[in-house]
Amino acid sequence: MKTTHVIAALTAGLTLSACATGGAPAKEAPKLAQPSAAAKLSGKIEIWSWDVAAKALQRLAPEFEKEHPGVEVDVRDIGYDNAYDKITVGLKSGSGLPDVITLEDTAIAGYAENFPGGLVDLTPVAAKYKADFDPAKWAAASNAKGLYALPWDSAPVGLFYRRDYFQQAGVDPESVATWDDLVKAGEKIKQATGKRLFVSDLTNPAAFTTLLQQLGQGYVKNGEVAVASPAAVRALTLLKTLKDKDLLQNEKGWDGRVSATKQGKAATQPTAAWWTGTLTGEMPELSGKFGVIPLPAFDPGGARTSANGGSALSITAQTRNQDLAWAFMEWLLAGKDRQVSMMRTESLFPAYLPALADPYFDEPQPYFGGQKVNRLFADQVRHIPPVELSGDDKQAEELLKKAVPGVLLNGADPRTALDEAARQLAAATERKVAS
Amino acid sequence: MRRALVAAVLAVGAVVSVLPFYWMVVAATHDGGELFASPPPFLPGAELMANLARLEESVHFGRVLATSVWTALVYTALSSLVSAMCGYGLAKYRFRGRGVLLGAVLATMMIPFQVLLVPLFQMMASVGWVDTYQSIVIPFLANSFGIFLMRQAFLGFPDALLESGRLDGAGDLRIFYRIVLPCVRPQLGALVIFTFMSQWNAFIWPLLMLNSEERYTVPVALNHLIGLSHVDYAGLMLGAFLATLPLMLVFLLFQRQFVSGLLGGAVKS
Amino acid sequence: MTAAHSAPVAAPAVGPRAPAAWRRRTVPWVFAGPAAALLGLFFAYPLAASLLQSLQTEDGGLGFGHYARLAGDPSFLRSLLNAGLILVVQVPVMIGVATVLAYALNQSWLRFRATLRAAYFLPAVTTLVAYAVVFRVLLRTEGGAVNQVLGTQVDWLNDPFWARVALIGSITWRWAGYNAVILLAGLQAIGREQHEAAAIDGAGPLTAFTRVILPQLKPVLLFCSITSTIGTLQLFDEPMVLTGGGPGDATLTPILYLYQVGFRQFDFGYAAAIAWAVVVLIGGLSWLQFRYVGRERA
Repeated sequence: MKTTHVIAALTAGLTLSACATGGAPAKEAPKLAQPSAAAKLSGKIEIWSWDVAAKALQRLAPEFEKEHPGVEVDVRDIGYDNAYDKITVGLKSGSGLPDVITLEDTAIAGYAENFPGGLVDLTPVAAKYKADFDPAKWAAASNAKGLYALPWDSAPVGLFYRRDYFQQAGVDPESVATWDDLVKAGEKIKQATGKRLFVSDLTNPAAFTTLLQQLGQGYVKNGEVAVASPAAVRALTLLKTLKDKDLLQNEKGWDGRVSATKQGKAATQPTAAWWTGTLTGEMPELSGKFGVIPLPAFDPGGARTSANGGSALSITAQTRNQDLAWAFMEWLLAGKDRQVSMMRTESLFPAYLPALADPYFDEPQPYFGGQKVNRLFADQVRHIPPVELSGDDKQAEELLKKAVPGVLLNGADPRTALDEAARQLAAATERKVAS
Repeated sequence: MRRALVAAVLAVGAVVSVLPFYWMVVAATHDGGELFASPPPFLPGAELMANLARLEESVHFGRVLATSVWTALVYTALSSLVSAMCGYGLAKYRFRGRGVLLGAVLATMMIPFQVLLVPLFQMMASVGWVDTYQSIVIPFLANSFGIFLMRQAFLGFPDALLESGRLDGAGDLRIFYRIVLPCVRPQLGALVIFTFMSQWNAFIWPLLMLNSEERYTVPVALNHLIGLSHVDYAGLMLGAFLATLPLMLVFLLFQRQFVSGLLGGAVKS
Repeated sequence: MTAAHSAPVAAPAVGPRAPAAWRRRTVPWVFAGPAAALLGLFFAYPLAASLLQSLQTEDGGLGFGHYARLAGDPSFLRSLLNAGLILVVQVPVMIGVATVLAYALNQSWLRFRATLRAAYFLPAVTTLVAYAVVFRVLLRTEGGAVNQVLGTQVDWLNDPFWARVALIGSITWRWAGYNAVILLAGLQAIGREQHEAAAIDGAGPLTAFTRVILPQLKPVLLFCSITSTIGTLQLFDEPMVLTGGGPGDATLTPILYLYQVGFRQFDFGYAAAIAWAVVVLIGGLSWLQFRYVGRERA
């Protein structure tokens, strides 16, 4: 009996989904309606997240449930690796997604642009918070049409360095203000200690992308392909200079980087605040060896930070409880209390600017020889250069995966390689190449 | 002399074959950090119990293992039967639709699974099978690789034996169970191992279908050890090592079928 | 359907011989029916949907635009070339090794046979996530076990040539034993008499192997070579976790590219076209193998 039902339902489902494939999906994102003040929250929402972010949600959701009797917030840790496969299939098939999903900043634009109608536009309820958030993250969550996520944690980039290596080479880290300074320092350190400047996976364009953002640019500019812009050439040329001077320690993947750092193969690491968690967790024995300075600027007086990572929360159009979803997100992210609490407990660096004034950020960190590294990063958050993200960024990244190693491993000319990538990207995405 | 040489070559090959696995076991007994030393450790460490406790705490490994075992057993029993029967039908009968069916089997084998994910997911969602056990077992019961394997196995089966069975007045099903299956026990053993393995290591589909931790299978759960800024390598190695044990057990149990198949001796042509 | 068949009560015979024509038509479906029903229920729609999607054009009509794009897509062509290289180099080597291995492991004089079989099968059962980490550690340039044993300083995963070698080596490592087990099962189904007959006939073991054993093994060899062809053209796991397709495009495979196009760039129509192009290729190659191995007994 039951089997017959399922078969009937499957066959019916076929017809339904066949229609769904044939018909065009909604072209516009549903806008989140302003909830009436009187409405009482009720019902249940499900949230997908991963890693420490999921732990933070699981820890705080009961507090929210206590404040709003009768509501239920169900947090599912779906794991980070392959999480996007789940989300992509859910958006593409128009089913199976929960009310709220976690997205990294770099993923938001791709989903918002390629699945119009998949994520809810938060503008009507969230616009009022714009000034309170890390501007770079706000830009990452928005496009010309709307706002598709509420920023969660920031990932300000600084320069981690080995105090002992710098000392041995007689280099004062505080004197390093520009990349030129750092290249010179790097040569000195290499001579004195034999250690290269930093660990980088040369088959991956991540370092290039971080430098490009420091110069205030993403892969596109005003909708035009900008992977061969003067800024892009400058960023890649810097990496090539470092490589030519044999200052880059090439290691594959995350395990390669952790392992090389643990073995002390490099004198510095330009990376985001969350790296502190990796250092304290994976290599406690190196306590006291590291310090942090702001990222060296390209030009004196230029931006001394960038972004590398960071996430946000989005409401999916498949939700049946928008009000509750938004109320929870607002409670969690757009306020000091929870943001500071997540910084303290899960090391999620707040993108909510008022939270950065909390005295917690001024506590000296014993692992970093008593340095107040959180204050250093907090001060950089509002200076992270906002960049334009687009739905074609992943495609750009694939092309750069070829262009960047071409330059760094095979000695191609940065401009030529980037011009070629820009040409291919323009052809594939029907965008113009920025002049 | 020549035999000794063959044995020696086989032994060396076996060592090469096992070495990466050995390192996995070694890694499972060390603290995650130690794995990054240079050179990496090559002898077992002392952290096995600590890693085991952490694995149980972070992904409830015991429960996950149990889920994997019973779903794989159910799947293997049903799917092997379906495959063996279909393979036999395709190899030993001529009937209208046989070509189409064989074509369908080959097509599902040849199509990259990645492009079927979205439509298949839609189907599952439309019948409310998201986050259920049946969604990871039932859609793949007709395992095209298994069917093809069995078809190839039955092709060589002598028709004379079937005929003599028919002359004895046995029905087709009876011939299949009493005469045919016992003769292809080696290949049935291979089929069972193969089928169990395909379900045991299935990753992307269970990952898409399952949302509740309490329903996770081993590969989906292990995936959770890879985080954004932290990867539990030691736990990963330990989990992967433990995950191979049931598979090896199935292998050792069913590879004996190969040996007993030798004694069957009924197959002559 | 004749009247007699629709009224089985009236049919007098109960024995296996009775309604011969009806039986001839239905009995095969008793065997093939469950699989046919399951395939129809769960795969007819996804197959049709993906085919349709590959033909969908941007304006909502149907056309071969995606397929035309394939022909001029350097990444796709490169991925095909990579798969072709593996097909020509790796598959024959692996099947050859597997056959010899299966034959050797089937010798009755061999001691510790069960242990050896298990040892060779072990790589195939290793979970992918662990496999990736282990190989990255073993293949590390500095301090990696492979370089230490060989006494080399090869940059296994970053050099286009060596990355391919590493990829081919790791696939062979993972799947040779697996194919050997399938071939072993085939060898043992052949029966002892024939092995003995082959041995007694006086010819050396090599002649016995090629003259008597190999021909009998044909259907199973065909299975292995076709599934390996499919495995190669659908190669995804190893390049995904070991090299990500790099450096450059050096280890990009068609399905890895399909995944990037569909799941990273969200161009599902183009991804479906890649999939069906791969199906056509696999189909063609399988057909050639069926032909080459000769007419099968049916």
